[in-house]
Amino acid sequence: MFANRKIENIEQEVMEAVSLARKQQPLLNAMVSFMEVDEAISEAKNSNGKMAGLPIVLKDNVLTKGVRTTGSVQILDNYIGAYDATITKKLKDAGAVIIGKSALDGLGMGGTGTNCHTGFVHNPYDLNRMAGGSSVGSAVLVASGAVAFAIGSDTGDSVRKPASFVGIVGVKPTYGRISRYGIIPYASSLDHVGYFTRSVEDAALALEVLAGRDDKDMTSSTREVEDYLANLNGDLRGKKIGILKNVIDAIKKDQTLALFNELIEKCVNAGATVHMINMDQTRLQACLPVYYIIANSEATANHSNLDGVRFGMQEWGDSLEELMTNSRTKGFSFLLRKRFVIGSYSLADENQDLLLRKAQKVRRLLVEDYKTALSDIDVLIAPASGDVAPLLTDTSADQLSARYLIAENHMVLGNFSGYPSMTIPMGKIDGLPIGINITAKPFEEQVMFDIALGMENLTGCKNMTAEVNV
Amino acid sequence: MSFEVIIGIEIHCELKTKTKMFSGAPVSFGNLPNTCVNEIDLGHPGTLPSLNKRAVELAITASELMNCEVDRLIRFDRKNYYYSDLPKGFQITQQFHPIGRGGYVDIDVDGVSKRIGINRLHMEEDTAKQFHHGDVTWIDFNRAGTPLVEIVSEPDIRSGKEAAAFVEKMKSLLEFGDISDVKMEEGSLRCDVNISLRPYGFEGYGTKVEIKNLNSVNNVQRAVEAEIVRQTEIYLKGESVVQSTRRYDETTRKTVLMRKKEGTVDYKYFPEPNIPPVLISDEFYSRVISQLPKTAQQRKDAYINQLGLSDYDASILTSGKDLSDYFDAIVGFGAPSKGTANWLISEVLSVASLRSDKKFADWIQPQHMADLLIMVSEGKISGKQAKEVFLDMINGESPKDIVAKKGMAQVSDEGQLLSWVTEILNNNAQSIEDYKNGKDRALGFLVGQVMKLSKGKANPAMTSELLVQELSKR
Repeated sequence: MFANRKIENIEQEVMEAVSLARKQQPLLNAMVSFMEVDEAISEAKNSNGKMAGLPIVLKDNVLTKGVRTTGSVQILDNYIGAYDATITKKLKDAGAVIIGKSALDGLGMGGTGTNCHTGFVHNPYDLNRMAGGSSVGSAVLVASGAVAFAIGSDTGDSVRKPASFVGIVGVKPTYGRISRYGIIPYASSLDHVGYFTRSVEDAALALEVLAGRDDKDMTSSTREVEDYLANLNGDLRGKKIGILKNVIDAIKKDQTLALFNELIEKCVNAGATVHMINMDQTRLQACLPVYYIIANSEATANHSNLDGVRFGMQEWGDSLEELMTNSRTKGFSFLLRKRFVIGSYSLADENQDLLLRKAQKVRRLLVEDYKTALSDIDVLIAPASGDVAPLLTDTSADQLSARYLIAENHMVLGNFSGYPSMTIPMGKIDGLPIGINITAKPFEEQVMFDIALGMENLTGCKNMTAEVNV
Repeated sequence: MSFEVIIGIEIHCELKTKTKMFSGAPVSFGNLPNTCVNEIDLGHPGTLPSLNKRAVELAITASELMNCEVDRLIRFDRKNYYYSDLPKGFQITQQFHPIGRGGYVDIDVDGVSKRIGINRLHMEEDTAKQFHHGDVTWIDFNRAGTPLVEIVSEPDIRSGKEAAAFVEKMKSLLEFGDISDVKMEEGSLRCDVNISLRPYGFEGYGTKVEIKNLNSVNNVQRAVEAEIVRQTEIYLKGESVVQSTRRYDETTRKTVLMRKKEGTVDYKYFPEPNIPPVLISDEFYSRVISQLPKTAQQRKDAYINQLGLSDYDASILTSGKDLSDYFDAIVGFGAPSKGTANWLISEVLSVASLRSDKKFADWIQPQHMADLLIMVSEGKISGKQAKEVFLDMINGESPKDIVAKKGMAQVSDEGQLLSWVTEILNNNAQSIEDYKNGKDRALGFLVGQVMKLSKGKANPAMTSELLVQELSKR
C-alpha cells in the first residue's frame, strides 16, 4: 500500500524492491532491464509528490530517455529512448523511483507472456503457469511483492487479464484519460495506458498521478482529474450492478461461477441491486475477429517506422529498400510478421470494405450494444477469465468455441468503447487467483473505484502477494 | 492533324509556418542538415502527431482564395508506403476529406480570361530530402514533417501557355496570401503536370503522362509544349503513348522518361486514429475569413483606382509581393505614389536584378526611400542628385545624411540665386548677345554655368526663371 502512507526510508524501500526483483528474476523472468536508481532516490527524498520514494516498474514499451526501451522486439533490442513518455515524466514528478522495465509479449501483441523477446514469464503462484499478457512482467512484479505499482498497457485486455491471473488490481481508465505519448503503440484506437496495484485505494491514487490532458496526445481528454482517493467510498447500498449474462453462460468452470455467485450474494447483502444484462450473442462472438482486424491493421501501419534506417537494429543490404526489408525480416518474430501480413491484407484496397471497414462497423454496433447495456446501471461485471491461469504448456485452447470467444474475450469491449474497466481479485481456486472485471460509463472512474472498493471489502482480497521461493 | 490537349496540374506548396505540421520542431530552409528535427519528425517509437493550428489557418486561407468550399470538419488519413525518406512509414494526409473542394481560379492568356477548376486542396506533411552520391544516399530530415498543401486542378488546361498562366496565378495567390514562399527553384512550390491528347470531339481521355520536377514557370510552358509535340508525333505514327512519369531536360528541351507506371500503387489509406476529427469553430473560421490577405488583383485595382497609377505600373508593382509590400510601405511614409512607382520600376528594380535580391527592405529601408522621394518632390534635391544619393543609400546610410554630407541640398533662396545669376551674366556678354539674337541654346548654357558655380546646388527651375527675368533687363 502506498496510498495514505509516507515512505520514511526511501533508500531502504527501493533497494529492497530491487533486491527482491533481482532474486526473483531467474524464476519469474519478469524484468527486461534494471535501471540506475541512485539519482532517482535522491530526487525522491526532496519530493512531496503522491508517490515520493515509491519503487515502481514500467512496461518496456514506455519510453525512458537515455534508457533502453525494447518493446520486447529484436528490432528495438538496442534502442535507447530518445525522450521520456508523458507518463514517465509524470511518475518522476510524483517522486516515484523507476527500478526497471518489465517484459511484455512483443509490441503488446499476445496475451500469454510467452511471446516476449526475453523468453517466457512465469506466474508467481505456480511457475509452470502463464501470467497472461501482454503486460505480463509488470503484473508479475506487483504480484510477487517486488513493487506495489507498475505500468502496463491494455489494447485488448492486456492489463485486466494478467491482473486476474496473478490476483492483483489492474486498471484501464477511459480512452483519453491518460496520455499515450511515448508508449510504443500496438493499435492506436484501442491502446490504453493501464497499471497494476494491490489495492483499490492505491489504484485510485495512481490515476490522480497519471491522468490529465497532454497537448502531445490529441486524443487525450481536457476533463479535470478528480480526487479519486479522497472521494473513494465503498458503500454498495443502492449501487446498480449489471451482470453480463452472456459471459456467465459461456463459463463452464463451476468453481469460477461459485466464486462469482458468492460475491454477488455478498453485494446484494451489502445493499446493491443486481441486474442481468444480455447482449446480442452473435455480435459478441464477433469481438475477437473484429479486434484482430482492427488491431492488426493499425499495428501494421504503426510499426512501419521500424525499418532499420534511423534507429534500432540495422541489417545491411545493397540498397535502402533491401536494408529495410532485411532489418524488418530479421527484426520481427514469425508471429509479429504474421500479424503484419494479416493487417496489410485487411488494409489492401480491394479488401478494406470486406475487412477493416466492416470490422469498424461491427465495432460501432458493439459499442452501441455496450452503451445500452450500461444505460440503467452503474457498472457491468463478469469474471475476468473463465478459469485460472493456464499452464505454459497449454496451447490447446479451442479458439472458436463460445467459451473462448466470449468468456475469454469480452473485456475487449472496454477497448472498443474506451469505457473505464478494471479487474480486482475475487478469490482463489486451488490456490490460484482469479479476478472479476468491472466496467463503468465513460469518465466514471470514481463510480468504478467505489464499487471495486466495496467488493474488495467483501472478498478480503487485498494486498495479496505470492510466495516465491527464491 | 492536331489533337485536343488535356492538362491537369498538381501543386505541392510548403506553408509558411514556424513549426511543422504535426510537431513542434522549427520549419527550416537552408539550415544545417538534421538540425531542425525532433523525435516526432524522425518517427521514433511512441510519438504522436499534434496538429499545427497555423497550418489549418493557411489551408483555409488558400481554400478561400481559390474559391473552394471549406470542410469545417478536419480529418486526416494515413497513406502507407515504405521509403527511406518517410520516417513513419506512412504520410499523414487528407485523402478522404480534403479541407477544400470544388473551387476555381481565373487565368489570363493573351488578354482572354479563362476559368480553371480546382478539384481539391488538402493538407499533408512533407517527406525528408534525399541526396544520392554514387553508392551513398544522404538523408536530411529537416524537411520531414514540413506542412504542405496539395492543390489539384481539374483537367481544364489546354496549352502550355495556359499551364504557365495557371502556375503563375497559383504562385501569385499563394504568395500574396502569405501562405507560402512559392520558390519553385528551392522546392517550396513544386508542380507536377499531367498531360494527355485526344482527337477533337472524342469524349474519353488519352493515356496520361506526368511531368515532374518543373523548377520554373517558363519550364512549365516549355515542357508542356515539348510533350505535346512528342505525343502528337507518336499518335501520328500510329503508335501509343506509354503511361509514365517524365522530367524536362533544359538542355535538349525535351521531356525524358523517369519511370513507367505499371498499375496503381495501393497506399492502403485509412483514417488516422491519432488525430480525432477537429471541428473548426465559427469563431476560428470567421477570424480567418476576416483577415484574408489582399490578392495581387485586389492590390492592383487599388493602385489604379485609389492611387491613380497606370495599369502598366500597377501590374509591375503587383508582380511580386515583396515589391508590392515595399511600395505600400514607402507610400505609407508619405512619399508620392506616382513618383514612388516610377522610382521603383526604373531604379530599384534594375539594382534588384543586378543584385538578384528582391528583399528590397533589407538593403534600403522603406523610410529611407520615402525620405529620398519626398526630398525630390519638394525640390530639395534634383532628380540627378537623387540617383547619386540612392546608390549611396544601399550602404544603409539615410538620404538626409548623404545629402548633408555631400552638401547637396538645393539652394532656392532668391537672393543667393540672383547673386550667382548676376555674376554669370556679367562674365558672359557673348551669351547675352546670342540669347537676344534668338539662340535658345544660350539660356541652357547660362543655366549650366550657374549650376557649375553653385556646385550643383542651385534650384534649376528657379535659376532658369531668374535668368530670363534678368536677361530681359539687359
